[in-house]
Amino acid sequence: MVAAWKAAGLSYNKYLAVAARVVRRSLKDEPRLKAERRGQFELKFAKWENGKQQESKPLSTL
Amino acid sequence: MFSRAARPVVQRAAAVSARPAPSNNYATLREIEGRLKSIRNIEKITKTMKIVASTKMNQAQRNMVQARVYGATNNKVYEEAETKPEEKGKTLFIVSSSDKGLCGGVHSSLSKAVRAKLETNPEADLCILGEKCKAQLGRSHPKNVVMSFSGVGKDVPSFAMAQSIAHEIMSLEKQYENVEVVYNHFNSPVAYEASAIDAFSEESIKASANFAAFEVDDEQLPDLREFALANSIYWGLAEGYACEIAARRNAMDNASKNAGEMINKFQILFNRTRQAVITGELVEIITGAAASAE
Repeated sequence: MVAAWKAAGLSYNKYLAVAARVVRRSLKDEPRLKAERRGQFELKFAKWENGKQQESKPLSTL
Repeated sequence: MFSRAARPVVQRAAAVSARPAPSNNYATLREIEGRLKSIRNIEKITKTMKIVASTKMNQAQRNMVQARVYGATNNKVYEEAETKPEEKGKTLFIVSSSDKGLCGGVHSSLSKAVRAKLETNPEADLCILGEKCKAQLGRSHPKNVVMSFSGVGKDVPSFAMAQSIAHEIMSLEKQYENVEVVYNHFNSPVAYEASAIDAFSEESIKASANFAAFEVDDEQLPDLREFALANSIYWGLAEGYACEIAARRNAMDNASKNAGEMINKFQILFNRTRQAVITGELVEIITGAAASAE
């Protein structure tokens, strides 16, 4: 049996992140604000080819 | 002959001794004052940074203790299963540093550890988290780097961040038989050392001796691997962050102390020079008065 999230083409980590976000959003206001801060981050990533850094792209919440 | 040759030397020596002995290092009052002011400002900055680091310290340490338990639980599975890294195949090192400097040798000790690992395994690839190690390793081993992340270490690392990093790494085209997270292990607020966590591949999990006891389906193995990778990255990030903050606090503490010492020294020098100037002026005035009185 293949799980629904896998059939939809999500990776396990992505599936977990989506689930976590849903849980955070469904909390009551006060704990929600605290919890949502944990889910936020600002990353940038860049791939390297032949010793050169390529263009860097922002990587936000999944 | 001899006397004529010797004369210029004698003359020069006389010229040197005739000049009034310069008060320390030819520094004038204004120059010393300027130095003193700038050192005071630097001391203010380092003191503030130390206070900021101290307040962040508690949070970082708490977070690290939690992440350590989390990572240890994750590793327990592989310990029980007696999973071993693959003998051969491609290795990926994930270097967990951060964006900010001014924290002593945290980043360079990490880079050094990675370089030592690359000596024995020159074919390995690098994935670098944080600008500092990217700059260091990108210069020495640019060919090995496949991916770099920036924006790490602004705040206490979150699991969501580790997850998306793991996700990006897993979506690389290349397959890695071994993945190692290289991070700074937090021994105490004043001691850290570079260490590594293994994140195993599907093959090595499958090949491990007691893994059958867990009754995990084969098709769930990639998921397990991804999750384990995210766990390891999170552990490495949290521990590295705590080390960085602790090291920054120490570095800033030392810097403030040094600045304090310098301020004391310059203050004394400043007072002496001022006194010398005043004395000089007085002597001039008195001599002038005595001369005109005659």
